[in-house]
Amino acid sequence: MTAKRTLAAIAMGLLLAGAALAAAGGQRAQRGFRGQREAAADVPEGSSLVPYDGRFTFARLRYDAGISAEGFSFFRRRRGGGAPWSHDYPRAERHLMKILDEVTGIDPYDGEQGGSIVAIGDPELFRYPVAYMAEPGYWTMTDAEAENLRRYLLKGGFIIFDDFRGYDWNNFEAQIRRVLPAGRLMSVELKDPIFHSFFDIESLAFHQYYDRGTPEFMGVYEDNDPSKRLLLIANYNNDIGEYWEWSDTGYVPIDLSNEAYKFGVNYFVYGITH
Amino acid sequence: MGDRLFELLFKYRPVVFEQGALALGASWPMVVLAIAGAALAAAVIVAYARIAGGGRLAVGLAALRLGALALLLIALLRPVLIVRTVEPRRNFLGILLDDSRSMQIADDGGVSRGAEVQRAFAPDGPLVKALQERFTVRFFRFSSSAARTAGPAGLSFTGTRTELAPSLAGARDELAGVPLSGLIVATDGADTAETGLTQTLRALKAASVPVFTVGFGRERFGKDVQLGRVQAPARVLKDASLYLDVVVSQSGYAGATVPVQIEDDGHIVGTQDVQLPADGEPATVRVPWTASEPGPRVLRFRIPPQPGEMVTENNARDVLVDVEDRAERILYIEGEPRYEMKFVRRAVADDKNLHVVVLQRTAENKFLRLGVENAQELVEGFPKTRDELFAYRGLILGSIPASFFTPDQLRMMADFVNVRGGGLLALGGRHACAEGGYVDTPVADVLPVVLEPDPEAPFFAEVKVHPTRAGATHPATEIAATEQASAERWTSLPPLTSVNQLRRVKPGATVLLTGDTDAGRDAQVVLAYQRYGAGKALALAVQDTWLWQMHHDIAVDDLTHELLWRRLLRWLVDGVPDRVMAQPSRARVEPGETVTVGAEVRDKTYLDVNNSQVTATLVGPTGQETTQPMEWAVDRDGQYQARFTPVAPGLYEVKVAATRGDETLGDDRTYFRVAPSDAEYFDAGMRAPLLRRVAEETGGRFYTAADVNGLAKDVQYAGGGVTVVDERDLWDMPVLLLLFLALVGSEWAWRRRRGWA
Repeated sequence: MTAKRTLAAIAMGLLLAGAALAAAGGQRAQRGFRGQREAAADVPEGSSLVPYDGRFTFARLRYDAGISAEGFSFFRRRRGGGAPWSHDYPRAERHLMKILDEVTGIDPYDGEQGGSIVAIGDPELFRYPVAYMAEPGYWTMTDAEAENLRRYLLKGGFIIFDDFRGYDWNNFEAQIRRVLPAGRLMSVELKDPIFHSFFDIESLAFHQYYDRGTPEFMGVYEDNDPSKRLLLIANYNNDIGEYWEWSDTGYVPIDLSNEAYKFGVNYFVYGITH
Repeated sequence: MGDRLFELLFKYRPVVFEQGALALGASWPMVVLAIAGAALAAAVIVAYARIAGGGRLAVGLAALRLGALALLLIALLRPVLIVRTVEPRRNFLGILLDDSRSMQIADDGGVSRGAEVQRAFAPDGPLVKALQERFTVRFFRFSSSAARTAGPAGLSFTGTRTELAPSLAGARDELAGVPLSGLIVATDGADTAETGLTQTLRALKAASVPVFTVGFGRERFGKDVQLGRVQAPARVLKDASLYLDVVVSQSGYAGATVPVQIEDDGHIVGTQDVQLPADGEPATVRVPWTASEPGPRVLRFRIPPQPGEMVTENNARDVLVDVEDRAERILYIEGEPRYEMKFVRRAVADDKNLHVVVLQRTAENKFLRLGVENAQELVEGFPKTRDELFAYRGLILGSIPASFFTPDQLRMMADFVNVRGGGLLALGGRHACAEGGYVDTPVADVLPVVLEPDPEAPFFAEVKVHPTRAGATHPATEIAATEQASAERWTSLPPLTSVNQLRRVKPGATVLLTGDTDAGRDAQVVLAYQRYGAGKALALAVQDTWLWQMHHDIAVDDLTHELLWRRLLRWLVDGVPDRVMAQPSRARVEPGETVTVGAEVRDKTYLDVNNSQVTATLVGPTGQETTQPMEWAVDRDGQYQARFTPVAPGLYEVKVAATRGDETLGDDRTYFRVAPSDAEYFDAGMRAPLLRRVAEETGGRFYTAADVNGLAKDVQYAGGGVTVVDERDLWDMPVLLLLFLALVGSEWAWRRRRGWA
C-alpha cells in the first residue's frame, strides 16, 4: 500500500512537474524565448487580405495544422505562439517589409498588418506570386488545396518555407510530393541566382536561431532543372523569420539579423524578378 | 454605227468636223444676200399676216417658211470646212499590235482577242488596204517594248507584260526619220507598266503624232474570279503569325463561297473562305499564315478555278517573303522590382526570335541584369551613348521615373524611335507616364497618349480590357488562333489595374485596347500606338498584365499571356531597320529585265553615310556569284544602288556589305525572283478609259473592233506628217436637204389642213 502510495505520489509529482514545465515552456515559446510575441489569435478564419493595389504585399500562407500542431504531443515537439502558420506574425513581415522598403527599390505594403494572410486554398492566392509559409512541419491540406498550390507554383508562383527542423522534414516532403508529384527537392547551391539576386551571399553556413541541426537550403526547380527558376525554397533546420521578428529588440546579435535579412531580401527580390 | 449614220447625214465623218475650221465660200457679196434675205422674210411675214389674220397660226406658218428660207440662204452662203489632210502616200503610219499573253483570252469563248486583231489588220483586209492607199504602213509588235514585224501573222501572243508608254515611244523613235501621220495601237489596254503614261503622251502630242487606239475584248467578263492585290511584308520574323490581306473581285459568282489558299512549296499553309461580293466590288480577305519556315519563301495565293470561269490565270498570285530567323534584341528597363517584368520575361522566354535583355533597378544605383550577352553589356547601367542604345531594336520602359535619366538619355530614347526607327513600349506603373514625371520630356513627345500635366494622385482603377475595332484585327492584340476566338477570349479575361490615368491619345495615334472603369465605358486608354519619325511608340497603361498569367481563373496551360506578349513584342520590332538595309526595286522581274538593288547605309548612331564602300554580290539560282560596287545616289544621303540584268529564271540573293575605311558598317541580304509575270491576266478586261485617254491626249480617236473600219478615213484628217489644206463643201450635206424638205412639207401639210392648199 505504501509502495502504491509512493508510486502514486511520484507519478503525481511527475505529472505536476511536467505540467509546470509545459506551462513554462509554453510561456517561453509564447515569448519567443526572450521577447513579447503578438498573438495571431485575433486573426479571423480564412484569409485576411490587404486590398490589392498592385504594390508588393507580403503573403503569409495559412493552413490547417492538424491535431498535433497545438499542445502536447508524444512524438513532436510542442510549439507555442499560436497556430504554426502564424509563427512570427506580424512582426517578422512588418520588419522585413520595412527593410525591403529601405534597402531595395521595392515599395511594399508596410502597414501594421505586415501583409496579407492567405489561405492556401483561396483563389486570391494568385494575386501574390511570392508567398511565405512558416512551420511546414505542421502543414496539412486537402486535395483541393494541394491542387491550388500546384497551379500557383506552375503558373509562376514562388513559396518560401521557413521555420522547420528535424522530423518536420518528413511532413514537409510528403506535402510537397502532393503538391508537385514530379518535383524533386534538391539542395540549392551557393552559386544559384537566388543567393545573389540583391546581396551577394558569400556562404550558406548560416548560424540558425535554435542551434538545432545544420541549416540546409532545399528547393524545387522548374522541370527539376537547376538552370531554371526555383519554384520554392525551404530553409530547413532554420528560422530566418525568427531573426526578422526580433531584430528590433537587441536580443540577437545584429550580424545574425543582418544575415537573415540578406536571405530574406534575396528571396523576395528573386521571387519578384525570376 | 453612230459614225456611219453621222457620215450619212453630214457627208463626212465626225473627225472631219473635229479637225476642220468652218468658213463661208459664197461668191455673192454678203450685203446682197442679207438684203435679199431680209426682203424675202418681210414678204413672208406680211403675206401670212394678211392671209391668216395674225395669231398663232400665222406665226407658226411664218416660222416654218422662214426656216426653210434660212436653210436656203445658208446653202447659198456655201459653207465649207477647211481641213488639213495628209498627202496621199507621202506619210508613214505605225501600227502597233499587242503581242502579250492577255490577247489569248477569248472573251466570248470563241475567237481570241489576238485572232480578232489578226483578222482586222490582215494585210489583205479592207482596213489595211485602205490605209495602204494613203500611207506607207509599218507594223510593230509590242508587249514590254515595240519591235518591227512584217505583219499580224507573226504575232505569238506570249509577251508577259504590256507597257504602252515604252512601246509607243519606241515605235515613234523607230519612225523618227520619216513623216509620221500617227500611230495605231491595237490592244486590250491591259497596261502592266508601273510608270505613268503622261510624259510619253505629252511628247507625242508635242510632236503632232496622234495615237489611234483600237480596243479588243470585253470591258467586263461574264464569269471570272480574280485574286487581286496581296498585301504581305517583304520581311518577317520566323514563327510570326500574320494575317495577309488579299483583295478578291469577281463577276458572275456573287454570293458564292470560295477558299483563298496560301501555298508554300506546294503545301497549303493557310486558308480562308470568302463569300464573294457583288459584281465588280472588291472584298478584302484576311488569310492567316505562320512563318514557320525560315529563308525566302515564294507564297502562292490562289483561288481554285470556278465552274465556267473565263480566265483562270488571274486566280493566283505569287509573293516573295523573306522569313528571318534571328533573335530581336529588346532592352527592358524596369525601375522597381515588380512582377510585370518577371512575367513578361517568362512569356517570351521560349520565343527564340525574341531576346529581352532586362536592366532591373533593384535599389538606388543597383541593377540586376538578366539576359545579357556578355559581362560588359549594360554593366554601367542604362546606355549613355546612342550607339549603345541603338544596338537594340526595341525598348521597353517600365515603371521608372524620368528623373532617373539624364536629359540626354531622355533625348536618346526619343531619337531611338525618331531617328533609329526602333520600337518603344511604355508600360504603366507608379513611376510611369505623368506619374513618373515624363510630362514635357522628349519621351512624352514620342508617346501616343496625352500625359495630363497634373495627374490626380493617387489614381487607381480596375480596368476591364477589351479591344477596339482596330485592335480586334490587329496582329499585336490577336490572342487566339482565330479572330472569333480572340474576340471571345478578350471578353473572358479578368480585369487588370492601372495607376496611370490616360484618357486621350494624340492625333494620328491608334487605340488598340481600351478599358472600362468605374468612371465609365472606354474611360481608360489601355494600349495605343503611333508612328513617330522612323519608328513607332506604344503605351500600355496597365500595371499588371501578369494577372492574365497568374489569375485563378486562368488555366495552367493557358497561353493567352504568352501569346499577347510575344505578338506585342514581335510587332514592336517589326520593320525596325538595321544599319544596312538592302532592297530590290521589284520583287520579280522578267528574264533579261534590269533590276536595281538599293541599299541604305548608316553608322552606329543611324546617321546616313555617304562615304562608305558598298558592294553587292548577286547569287544566282545555280550559286554563281557576281560582285560589283554600289554607287552612291548623289541626291539622297546614305543611299547606294547597283543594277543587275539577270537572265536565268529563279531566285536571286543579293548580299550587300558596307565598310568605311577599316570599319565594318554592316551587311544585309535581300531577294528577288526572275520569272515571267501573270500580271497580263489581272484586270484583263479591255480598258476603254485608258485607251480613250491615250487617243484624246494625243489628238487621235478611240475605236473598238466593231467600228475600226472608219479608222482609215479618220487618219486622213487627224493625222500629222506631210499635209495639205483642203476645203470640204457642206452646202450639199444631206441633212440640210432633209431639213429643208421637212420644213416645207410641214408648212404645206398645215396649210392643207386649213384648206389653204
